Amino acid sequence: MYRLSKLRFGFPIILFLMLLLDGSISQNFSTHMFHYPTAMVSHLVVLWLVCGVLFEADANDFDMPIGRWAVVAGIVFDVYYTGIFGIYIFIFPLVVYITRLLVSYIRPNFLSGLLIYFIDITVLEALGYLAGRAVHLSSMSGSDFMVNTLGPTLAFNLAMFVLLFFPIRWVYNWLK
Amino acid sequence: MQKFSFNRRLVIIIVCLIVSFALMTVSVAIRNKKSTPPLIQQFGNDIVGLTDRVVAIPANGLSGSVGAVSELLNTYQENQQLKQQVSELAQTKVRDQTLAKENKQLKQEIKLNESLTDYAAISAAVITRTPSSWQNQVIINKGSSAGVVKNMPVMSGSGLVGRVAEVNKTNSKVELITDNNDSANRFAVQITTKSGKTVNGVLSGYNNTTGQITMNNITTKAKIGKGDKVVTSGLGGVTPKGLYVGKVAKTSGDDYGLSTKLNINPATDLSDLNIVTVAVTKQ
Repeated sequence: MYRLSKLRFGFPIILFLMLLLDGSISQNFSTHMFHYPTAMVSHLVVLWLVCGVLFEADANDFDMPIGRWAVVAGIVFDVYYTGIFGIYIFIFPLVVYITRLLVSYIRPNFLSGLLIYFIDITVLEALGYLAGRAVHLSSMSGSDFMVNTLGPTLAFNLAMFVLLFFPIRWVYNWLK
Repeated sequence: MQKFSFNRRLVIIIVCLIVSFALMTVSVAIRNKKSTPPLIQQFGNDIVGLTDRVVAIPANGLSGSVGAVSELLNTYQENQQLKQQVSELAQTKVRDQTLAKENKQLKQEIKLNESLTDYAAISAAVITRTPSSWQNQVIINKGSSAGVVKNMPVMSGSGLVGRVAEVNKTNSKVELITDNNDSANRFAVQITTKSGKTVNGVLSGYNNTTGQITMNNITTKAKIGKGDKVVTSGLGGVTPKGLYVGKVAKTSGDDYGLSTKLNINPATDLSDLNIVTVAVTKQ
């Protein structure tokens, strides 16, 4: 039961920890991650959300309000990190929705999770880029975006998925 | 029933898109015009900023100690080079002090209290960096309560790195000059050429592939050479005069052949910022 599990508090606490870790990682490894012209963007918060959906489907005995927490994470991300309100508040829940949709077709395990996460990061970065173009935050061309941002970001985040999938599963099982 | 739910989904998507665009436009407008964000946003930022310090301080400390170990490896070589520089620097420093003192006396003589070169410095630590590929933005741990005001220039090490884009009570966002958005990096600068002429201009952007700052639309006849120093000119009010930006790396004709375009090597490594200084002008 979700109401009685430790996840009720554990999920949002780790969600915010991941959100703040994203910024810390970007700051501490900025010489490697933002080595011009390429940029790797860390999305640990999305990893936590997507893993939540995957393990929720795995357990299939309770529903977590992951979508609602995604909105909250999106608000904090927009206000604290970018200062431009209205981008990630919609993209984070959309990613959760897409993951739920895919999980209903594919039985989630490590490999299919990797594929789903690939799609999620692509959608997230592409929509973020389009929004950035729309409000003139970025002037990067589409091909530059694919080569310099999307490619390295996917590589970094998929590596993170591979490294953190089993630790996160352990954390979920412990919190459950 | 199927058709109804499809329509409803379409309506939700369109409403979300409209709301999203409205929010984005409003927040960009606020960011460009107002000096501080709305109170509720400031409040949220301060709360998150405080919690972020709990995460950031151990993380930054850890990376600092790892960095210290790796720096230890090339200390010897660096020491040799620095010793040479120090002996030259001592001479310059003494001369600088004498000149500053003289300058102060002369200013008193003509009853000039504040000129464009006067500024106070607030040093701040970088808490975190925006995880985004086009918003090159860092968040520092000083805000309006420490006297930071929007649009103030920010320096690190020896050179200019950006300007304050948003001020909250206890933290503020700094937009780096590597950021290429429409409202960023428009600093008024000047170059003193080898022949002693002064060339004024405005920084116009950042070239991602070469890592150089660009400066367009220079129509002067004065010959600008490689290695000429670029400093802020103090025109426009907010930025004090004489903040070091970098050295000219290349001069070339612009795309239409009418004016000159400069590439400037920035004075500091813009991707590695830990401690920054906010320059406060008295207005």
